Formats: sequence, structure tokens, C-alpha cells
Amino acid sequence: MLSQRLIGRVAVKSAFKPLGLPTIVNASRWSRTYATGSDARDLVIIGGGVAGYVAAIKAGQEGMKVTCIEKRGTLGGTCLNVGCIPSKSLLNNSHLYHQILHDTKHRGIEVGDVKLNLKQLMKAKETSVEGLTKGIEFLFKKNGVEYLKGTGSFVDQHTVKVALNDGGETVVAGKNILIATGSEVTPFPGLEIDEKTIISSTGAIALQEVPKKLLVIGGGIIGLEMASVWSRLGSEVTVVEYLDQIGGPGMDTEIAKSIQKILKRQGINFKTGTKVLSGEKTGDGVDVQIESAKGGKQETLNADVVLVAIGRRPYTKGLGLENIGLELDERGRVIIDSQYRTKIPHIRCVGDVTFGPMLAHKAEEEAVAAIEYIKTGHGHVNYGCIPAVMYTAPEVAWVGQSEQDLKKAGVKYRVGTFPFSANSRAKTNLDSEGMVKMLADAETDRLLGIHIIGPNAGEMIAEGTLALEYGASSEDIARTCHAHPTLAEAFKEAAMATYSKAIHF
Amino acid sequence: MFATRVLRQAAVHAERTPSIRFLGKRTFPASVDPTPKPHPASPTGALPASWASASAHPTFSAYRDHAQQFGPLRKTIKATSGGIGGTAGSELGPVSPPQGVFFDRNDLPPRFHRQPLTAAEIEAIETGGAALYA
Repeated sequence: MLSQRLIGRVAVKSAFKPLGLPTIVNASRWSRTYATGSDARDLVIIGGGVAGYVAAIKAGQEGMKVTCIEKRGTLGGTCLNVGCIPSKSLLNNSHLYHQILHDTKHRGIEVGDVKLNLKQLMKAKETSVEGLTKGIEFLFKKNGVEYLKGTGSFVDQHTVKVALNDGGETVVAGKNILIATGSEVTPFPGLEIDEKTIISSTGAIALQEVPKKLLVIGGGIIGLEMASVWSRLGSEVTVVEYLDQIGGPGMDTEIAKSIQKILKRQGINFKTGTKVLSGEKTGDGVDVQIESAKGGKQETLNADVVLVAIGRRPYTKGLGLENIGLELDERGRVIIDSQYRTKIPHIRCVGDVTFGPMLAHKAEEEAVAAIEYIKTGHGHVNYGCIPAVMYTAPEVAWVGQSEQDLKKAGVKYRVGTFPFSANSRAKTNLDSEGMVKMLADAETDRLLGIHIIGPNAGEMIAEGTLALEYGASSEDIARTCHAHPTLAEAFKEAAMATYSKAIHF
Repeated sequence: MFATRVLRQAAVHAERTPSIRFLGKRTFPASVDPTPKPHPASPTGALPASWASASAHPTFSAYRDHAQQFGPLRKTIKATSGGIGGTAGSELGPVSPPQGVFFDRNDLPPRFHRQPLTAAEIEAIETGGAALYA
């Protein structure tokens, strides 16, 4: 401290030599007046998750001086660290294990003693995660993004204080600030998550052993994906869902019923229209009291592990929003306008912490759009055209409106379906469960929604999303040549079935 | 006749205009209304009432006109508003000091002023640092 101050004095002394020329004095005067101006970033991003890191890279590409603050210590947020990516690793590898155990024999492949090495399965997951998170750090360097590991909170409308993970504190000032703090698991009242016996999705991807009995509270996408993983690895899994259908909001009712049947055949038990009343840890697990959502007799379910997967909620804890007067809506979301501005126009917000579905790809779209709004005043996200995918086996994917949405809105529509059991590639793969369902306007034939259960549905939905974004008709898809033999032919045939008739069904 | 029907259908298809077509190179509109509008995914479809009172500067550009951070962020503010940068630098006259007068750092904002020396520091300077190890 002393030495720094001494050095400072020496520098000042030389600038104020009495014999110095007036012109020199002028220059130093101006530069000193605005000396700290250069410290202000064009953009400060709080949160290095999918929304934050994508915004940071895009801003870097646009030539902005950008700082991204992330407290986890690794970039990528929930998605890369404890969400989409690790769960996909477990889903893929558990599917392979299950297939070797139960499916390869009748394909003519006989495998000897098959053993599960859970530790190695988890290590494979960690390798994927580590590779991807490190990849983002590289992209930050490539695009000139400053990365601060710490917890950011607003001091005022232009200043963010960062409590650094390595100790100490720093302050960054930004002409623009982007809130991208994401979401956290919604807790279930009365069930305290310890990530061992009562777990969230974070604990569900890191269990040390396969539980004999797993109870999943919540039959949404996260609950069903984790149910699939542990069911394949040997758990007896029961899913309790409050609503009458699984899959969460947006899933077409017909598709939801169909996937429930398929998952039931795979060994997962379902209790839909059932509410969880309470839970209590016992010596050998957890007792959970349930009853019908409409009321009725209570029942107690016992499980070794209970997964709470009832949803996620916006995360703004410790952000210091009270210091800048930003209020949240009744569900804790930051209120924004159509250009992602909060009521303080240079503070914007994207991703899970604000409106819209909590999906990584939605957050990415918003991140790019928010930077474009800052830079050019134009951005684009079509909230009617955001795909959703559930990575069970078979996968479920959809985009646009469901049949129940259209009925509710009083829209006249046509339905075309095509089963994978009539698709040549699916048949040769011996993987022909599911179907493609297309909904189009009865009058104009414009696509309104696409719903798929089947192998690689998550990849196939991209074609539907593109068509929907471009405002295509089902006939447009039907008249587009699709390679043979491919699963994508089922997509084309469903389009044919919508405006006319399918050939192979 | 069957043949006629087939021909008629073929003609219909030949005249069909696909919904997807190339619209041309991407262009930006000349001007955009920057007034805050509700977010498309907003459950209420409206902005809270507090936004109207909060938004003294309805547009980002207007906000930047008035924002201060180590001086004005972008544009100058009219002199009548009394803010820094209210008058163009060139209109303030020469910045050179008069002949024989020199600026002192105490003309700058207080954070740039000399900091008082402690007795220990003075001694350290006078002894070339030796006092620190005495």
C-alpha cells in the first residue's frame, strides 16, 4: 500500500514540474479528468449461464467491451453443469446399458456378463461437462470477454459489486447491464432437500448408488428424464403427478397419453391426478403421503430416494435489485418489455429469470436478441416457435400449438399423423415406437403445431421449427423431397396426411 | 372423365405457390418506435403502472442523453439543464492557463488531491526507506 502510494506521488510530481510547458499541463489535466472513464464496460453481464455466456460472446463479437460475472466457478450455468448436459450423458449411457441388457440379443448380438459401473458412468458425465465448460472459457478469450468469478450485486444503476470467489471484492461499471441469473429448483414445502435421500435434479445426476426405490414428485420433463435414467439402471420408479397428464405444460394430450403408456411398458409406475401431502424421513428412506388430487383416501409410499421435480423458479437472491428499485412480478420474475429492458432502460434481462419458458435454447435466442437490441435496435425471438424436447426413449418433441390449445382458441384445424411403425428406417432399426402428428389451419393449411414421439424426435423437430418459423403450409413440407430410407420420411408423410393422404399408411 | 380430372389436378399443382419463398436480403426499417411495449411472453400482456412514472426518459436514446457516468455518456446536455457537458468544450474558451499560472492537482475533483502523509511515511521517504526496517 505504502509503496503504491509512493509510486503514485513520484508520477504526479513529474507531471507538475514547475518548469513544465503549459501544453503538457493541459494534456495531463484532461486525461486525468476522464482517467476512470476507460474502466466503464459497454456491457456487464451478471450470470455466466447459457443466457449470460451467449450474450457475452455475442457482445464480444460486436466489438463491445464486456465483462461476465459468474459465481459458480465454471461457465454454462445450470444447463451445462447440473442440467441438460450431464442429464443427457446419463440418459445416453443408461440407454446403452439398458439396450445391451434387454435389446441386443434379439438383434443377433450376444453379450456376456454385463455390469454397471456407476462411478465410471458419472466420470463420463463429468468429462463431457468439463470439456464443454472449458470450451466456453476458450470462447470468452477468443472474443475478448472479461470473466470475473464471483457474486455480482447492484450498487447503483451503473455499478455492480463483485464478491470474488478467491476473496476480495471489486467493482465494475457498465453502460449497459444484463441480468442473466437463471433459475433454481422450486422446493417442496415440508421436504428439505439434502441431495442424498431427498434430492433435486442436481442430486439426481450425482447419486452414488442406484436406489432400490425412487419416488419422483412431478411428472414434467426433468422428472421423467431422471425417472428413465434410474429405471434403466435398476430402480423401481414411481412418478407422482398432480395433473391428469404427464409431460408438463405444452405437451399435446394425445402425445402425453401415448408416452405415458410407453414409459409404463418400460417399467415406470405413474400416479397421475395425485397430490403429495407430506414426507418424512425414516431410518431406511422416506415415507411420502399422497392422495387423489380430487380428494379421497390417503396412501403412504416408501422410497429410498425422493426426487423433487416440481419445477424451477427465477433466481435473484443477493442481486441487490432493491438498490436500484427493480421490482419482480408475483412469480419472482424480472419484469421486462419487448426489448428485454427493465424499467431502467440500460438494464436488460434474459433467460430463466424473466418471462417465457425456462429453456436453454430460449435463453440463447434472447441473449443474442438483447445484444442486437443494444447494438442495432433490432432483435428477433418468436415465442410461438420455441421447440421443447424430452429426452426419454423414445424422445418426445414439439413446437407450436397443441390440439388442446387450438380447441381452446376455437381455431379450426386439420390433423395428420404418421406412425414410425410404417417408416422403413425405423423398422430396420427395430425402433419404431411413436408417431409424427401435425396440426394445420383448416382453411389456409398453414402449420400450427408439430408433435413427435419417436427415435431422434429431438433432431426431427428442427425441421418442424424451421417450417413453422417460415410460415410454411403442410403441403410445403409434403412437396419437399426427403431422402430414403430416413426417419425424416415419417415427417414428410405426416405432412402429406395433413393436407391429403400419406402414401405408406 | 378420369383423365380430365387428373389433368385438372396437375394444373392446380403447377399453379401452386409455396408458402415458403425467398423474401430478399435482410433489411432494417429506417426507424423503430423505442417506446416500451409488453414482452410477448408476459403473462399480463401489460407493463406495470410503475413503469410510466419510472420512465422519465422513455427511450434508451433519451436516457443516454441524460445519463451521467464520469461525464455525459453520449450526447451533450443543454446548458439550461446545468449538467456536465451542457456546453461544448470549444465554447468554454481556451483551457491553457494564463501566462505564468500553472494548474495544481487540487483543481481536480477531491479524489485526485494529495493524500496527507503520515509521520512514518515522511520518515520513510526522508531515510530512503531505511526507517521501515529500523
